[in-house]
Amino acid sequence: MRSSVSYILSSTTTEPNMSHPDYEQLAHDHAALLVLVRQIGSQLKNKMFNKFYDRISRLNSVNITDSVGQVRNIYIRYVKEHPVENNLWGDFQTHRRLLGLVTFGKYDSQQELNDICRVHEQLKVKYITTLFDSRCILFGPSSDSPTEETTSSDATSSISSSTDAHSIKTTEKDLEKKELYFEENDKEVFTTPSNFKTRALFYSETDPCADLEAHLTDFLNSLFWVLESKRLERSREKLERVSLLLAPFEKKDFVGLDMESRNNKRRCTGRSTKHLGDLCLQAGLITEALTHYHNAAETLKSVNDWLWLGAAYEGLCTATALVLYPNIYRNAPLHRNSSLQEGSPKRSNSITTPILDIVKKEVPNTLPPEEISKKYREAIVHYSKYQNAGIIETEACFKAARISVEQNHPLQAASFLQNVVFINLTLSEQERIQRFETLSDLYMQIGFMRKASFCQRLAATRYVSAQNPTPNWSQCYNLMLQSFRGHKISLDPTEMMSTNVQVGWSTLQIQLLQEIVVAAKRMGHSALATRHMTFLLQTMWPYLSINDQKEFAIQLQSLSAQCEGSPVSLVLDNGTVIPPANLTNIPICAGFNLRNLQPHLRPRKIQVLKQDSGPFLFTPINFGSLERKSAKVQSKMDFFWIENDLCEVTLKLVNPLPFELKVSNMRLLTSGVVFESIPETVVLPSDTPTLVTLNGSPKESGELEVLGYSTHTLGVKSNCRLRYMKGFLPQYTIEVIPTLPTVEVKTSLPESATFSTFQNFENVVTSASLSLYNGESTQCVITIANTSQVPVEMLEVSIQSVLEPSLQDQIFKWSNDDLQKQLPLLPGNSASLTINLYSAANFLASGFNGPELSSGVFGSSHASSIMSASAGPSSLPSRLNSPVHSTMGNSFHGRRNDLNSSFRSSNSGQSSMTTTGCRSPGALTLPQHVASAVVDAQLQLRFSGGSGFQAGYCRSCSIFITLEMIPSMQVTNWDVLPAETYSQFYLVLDVANLTSQEMEVYYTPSKHMLIEGHESCRVPVPVDRCPLSKLTKFYMEQKSGLDDRLDLDKICSEHIANLVDLSWHLMSTDTRGKASLKGITLTPNMLDIVRMSPIQWEVLINDGLIKPQEEVNCVVGECLEIKVGVSNCFEKPLRQLTLSVQFYQDYQNGMQNYQLETRLAFTGTTKIILPPLEPQDKAKHACNVVFFNSGHYKMDIQCSAPECLASTPSVNTTGHIWRFLPAIEVNVN
Amino acid sequence: MSMSDDLFEFLHSEVINYSIQRNEIKKKESKDDDLSNIEFIGFSTGFKVIERLTKEMPRFKDELDTMKFICTDFWSAIYKKQIDNLRTNHQGVYVLQDNAFRFLIKISNGKQYLEYAPRYVAFTCGVIRGGLANLGINCLVTAEVQNMPSCKFHIQVQRM
Amino acid sequence: MAVCAAIVGKDNSPKYFACTNPDEELNFQYKVLSSLDVVEEKLNAANKGSDMRELYLGILYSLETHKIYGYVTNTKIKFIIVAESTNTALRDNEIRSMFRKLHSLRA
Repeated sequence: MRSSVSYILSSTTTEPNMSHPDYEQLAHDHAALLVLVRQIGSQLKNKMFNKFYDRISRLNSVNITDSVGQVRNIYIRYVKEHPVENNLWGDFQTHRRLLGLVTFGKYDSQQELNDICRVHEQLKVKYITTLFDSRCILFGPSSDSPTEETTSSDATSSISSSTDAHSIKTTEKDLEKKELYFEENDKEVFTTPSNFKTRALFYSETDPCADLEAHLTDFLNSLFWVLESKRLERSREKLERVSLLLAPFEKKDFVGLDMESRNNKRRCTGRSTKHLGDLCLQAGLITEALTHYHNAAETLKSVNDWLWLGAAYEGLCTATALVLYPNIYRNAPLHRNSSLQEGSPKRSNSITTPILDIVKKEVPNTLPPEEISKKYREAIVHYSKYQNAGIIETEACFKAARISVEQNHPLQAASFLQNVVFINLTLSEQERIQRFETLSDLYMQIGFMRKASFCQRLAATRYVSAQNPTPNWSQCYNLMLQSFRGHKISLDPTEMMSTNVQVGWSTLQIQLLQEIVVAAKRMGHSALATRHMTFLLQTMWPYLSINDQKEFAIQLQSLSAQCEGSPVSLVLDNGTVIPPANLTNIPICAGFNLRNLQPHLRPRKIQVLKQDSGPFLFTPINFGSLERKSAKVQSKMDFFWIENDLCEVTLKLVNPLPFELKVSNMRLLTSGVVFESIPETVVLPSDTPTLVTLNGSPKESGELEVLGYSTHTLGVKSNCRLRYMKGFLPQYTIEVIPTLPTVEVKTSLPESATFSTFQNFENVVTSASLSLYNGESTQCVITIANTSQVPVEMLEVSIQSVLEPSLQDQIFKWSNDDLQKQLPLLPGNSASLTINLYSAANFLASGFNGPELSSGVFGSSHASSIMSASAGPSSLPSRLNSPVHSTMGNSFHGRRNDLNSSFRSSNSGQSSMTTTGCRSPGALTLPQHVASAVVDAQLQLRFSGGSGFQAGYCRSCSIFITLEMIPSMQVTNWDVLPAETYSQFYLVLDVANLTSQEMEVYYTPSKHMLIEGHESCRVPVPVDRCPLSKLTKFYMEQKSGLDDRLDLDKICSEHIANLVDLSWHLMSTDTRGKASLKGITLTPNMLDIVRMSPIQWEVLINDGLIKPQEEVNCVVGECLEIKVGVSNCFEKPLRQLTLSVQFYQDYQNGMQNYQLETRLAFTGTTKIILPPLEPQDKAKHACNVVFFNSGHYKMDIQCSAPECLASTPSVNTTGHIWRFLPAIEVNVN
Repeated sequence: MSMSDDLFEFLHSEVINYSIQRNEIKKKESKDDDLSNIEFIGFSTGFKVIERLTKEMPRFKDELDTMKFICTDFWSAIYKKQIDNLRTNHQGVYVLQDNAFRFLIKISNGKQYLEYAPRYVAFTCGVIRGGLANLGINCLVTAEVQNMPSCKFHIQVQRM
Repeated sequence: MAVCAAIVGKDNSPKYFACTNPDEELNFQYKVLSSLDVVEEKLNAANKGSDMRELYLGILYSLETHKIYGYVTNTKIKFIIVAESTNTALRDNEIRSMFRKLHSLRA
């Protein structure tokens, strides 16, 4: 666009060139009358002045009917500044002339009024060459009633003397009337000085000034008429005789030139025609103007008068634009010299022309739309040939660009704008800045955001350049901020981070952000500097080199030392909001986990709907299976937190900076229920993942959302919300249940060293351990202290172990009632619970087979050996049919060293004891594998209270109890013997002392025995026989022998266990304990002795009653009369009893000889069937016997029932046999 | 045909076999073949290949111009023949018909293998979609095989 | 010789940037970035049906010291070359062939 012959036509002398560019000019301004609006004196507030300025600016066009009755549409342009030098270009382009002046002033005194008048007059003098008319609007003291005063004369009236001025005259008459009115009413009269020759309008400050517009219209009318007269004057001039019009810098060029030359004549004509075109345009005669411009262009072209040709072209363009686009709005009349902070600029200062009645096509000489820019281009090329016309060129570029914008030709507009920067002007910094700002504004209008931002940035740097005498950092800052848009920087970091694609140019963004940090700092707004630096670190982190990261972090630290960064929006004076910037990269969060409460603090449902399969409770939360799958529920925790409890979130933090980073005041960010977060401070080493736990407690129950965490590092407070961080759910939701009490539990026993053998010990809060000898008992006092602010209203105690429940109940006993009586347990109070511990063990060596003990209570290896030891006796039932005779076998013969194997082989070991109460040291062998056993158990406390209790929750904690059970006493063998009285029998026990101490064993209330450590001893215990009443059922319904036999066994066993009270006392430690014979097993033979027989015997020999153990003596050949009486002591009749009497010889080697036919002879039958015996009935039988040989004989009297006494047929074919025991010994001499 | 053309065909059929097999391993319950993988391979191929194929081309005037390019130069480059018929409703729907589609021509013409046809057109659907996407036209591409080896590709342009 | 070359993606993000003098990179980045406005506008104009079908867009900006040229592939990948204004030896055709080479190298 630039002319290649730039500057050749202009001299480089210091000619007065127009040095004040008006970047705001529109093409339409060519048609406008220029009016300067000024404020005089300091009394009038800026705000008020601006209000009035805006008000009169609306009056930007008036319709005036001219002398021939045609309506002219006149445009007016108001300006606040007009450099007087620009007036010099008024011949070149008449719209540059200042035609009118309106001043505003306020006074309180005559002196002030005088001053205002003086200044007004001075202004008039300044623009005297071009000024047509002026008005001075004066605001008097506010107490005054609205008044007006005018002076009748006007300094400029001389100029307008030639106008036909009837309209003015009429107004003057009106005003005179008002003047009279004023003088009558006002108390204090202010008068303008006599040399003040301006029409003044007087108002009070509060006056609405309703007639202001009317007066102004008058004023504009007067301007028009003066202009119109000038135009007419011009138009009447003869073209051949016109003088040469000159641009200011041309004056010298034409000195001494022959003005009469044909060329110069044409030049004069052309320029004059162009000038006339300008006047016509201003006077609202567009058609004439176009014709004049057209003609002027023709003429000027022919004489190569480039500058004026350019002006003629420009005139054509503007006139055309007026026709084609009458409604171009004055865009962005930003008052560039006033700061941007004046609120949003009014963009609607439009030239609202009434619809022109000109049909576009009909106007001759208009250019086609596309020609406008071409002609403009030509004009600009022509202007560019003159260095001194630089400003004209610049303005033309802007005007052309604006028309291109209107035509929607962005590229064209851009090329005009691009040309602007090539124009070499000597401009002040301020003007340069304005140029960039205007450029930026126009680029923005054509959508060239990047270019606009580029210009904004250039303008910003100019504001603070070294050449600028008055650097303005605040303006610089504002422009920098505006240029963000074109660099795709959003002020909101979350927005910057959310777009996954990198669209901006990070290098430039970083640069710009650095610059704005400096600007903010220099501007003195440390908070902003900190904010932008934070933003830079946060959003540009991935694009920064490691060194930059470090560098900026250090810079941030020093910036924030002046003003700490905090996560709140900053609002600038112009209303711009700078959203908070949060550092989520420093430190980097690599993990965020909500922690469940400690097991013993976790809430449990008091009522569990499903029966728990095991003794251990799991959190009874059941999500619907569908819910669990949906993504939303993932953020919902499947555990609870409790109101007022300390809850934890663990974070994994990494410090990416190469130096140690201190992060203080870390808290959790939550929503939902009130949550009190406890601040945490951590020092993170460089690049090492560190786990940090953030604590807090919810203060309400309900749903809690954990949104993230806050940090304070590098002097910046940040709210790091997971929502805006990569790799996290937007939030975590957790249910907070109402408050529950907490307790502290102590025991009176020492704590266990370890308790690792138990599977579930996670909610164990304390432990207790003790050792007890089997049979010993002790107490453990558990103190439960309420450490919370909530009363404990519910407290349940249960014991858990892998022991069989009945055994467990034997070992651990407590009184629940005592405990419940202590409730509710108020805050700070304690309750105590006494647990009775009893070392329950099986004291029977052979009986170590109870099913309750075989389940592996004893976790130690001893258990297995004990269990294997019990294998023998468990086979007892198989020996039910063992020969009856063997029970009377030889004493001691079956004793073995290995107790177990002896049990396995036969029962003879048990039945071999014939002597009682005799100690047989060395004869009895101690069990070798009996060792102490350890019982692990958990005493579980479930407790609740307060609102959590209402909601159905409790807590559960456990005390781990380790009980070592040390063997004390053991019964290694036992047997039964008939006692002297029929109602009793002797239980003979081999008692072993398994301790190393001397032990005293009490086996009857009056009898005791001392046993050395690891010794054993045999004791007889008289026991009442098991009464028939306990056994009734077996005689009632004998359905199946085997099972009943076992039941019978059990009843008898229990009978013995209940009656026999063994207690021991360790002498050296004074430890006492009790032993139980529970689970003692009995053979069928024993059973007969143990229980009462339904049959009562009465044996008479030679009419002498035989007592048990009694011996009968007789001689060979003597006849013994045997009378046997059998009576039924049972409640039922006994049938089909067979009574038999037999003799035998016992060889005491296990052999018994029943073949005694050669040695004795019976008279009478030895075997009879008795008649049915009703209860209490008695049957008798008698027979005689004669012995042939001397010797020891035994008499066996027995009574057998084929079907076990019952009348119904028995499955068991063996029936039952009762004997008279012991067999009567007969010594035959 | 040159060796590289053969290789292209073999590679194509192996890609299909591989994808189908992998899907079968993954889940057996779905009856239809999951062809989205193959389609995506086609998409990336198309996205990349268009860059090269349009290198010497002038800028396209409009959408139709672009489609014509797809039918001629683009198709020739990949399938060694041009599209036989292009139809459009001028509202963003284009139907490209290839009467002897290269990947179907080696398969028996009868109805017998018709059910396998979708496997052999999925890649091409992706190629078309990828190519157009890189040219700034977002669209849905579906294929229709009624008589082997003829194939119709329906392009439905997604307007913003 | 060009002093700077850039490849800009579909989304106008920088993909490749190189210039002869690394110290000047920032300046060039500003220049290239603001020239994208013209590129977009030209493409816009092309879309509206003006008959500009060449991938080479010609000169985008003529600055005091540099000239910026643009080239946009059919897939909207932009190539930008900056040449010194004083280098009058560089003709349009040479710039065009430079772009062609760039395009061949990339595609």
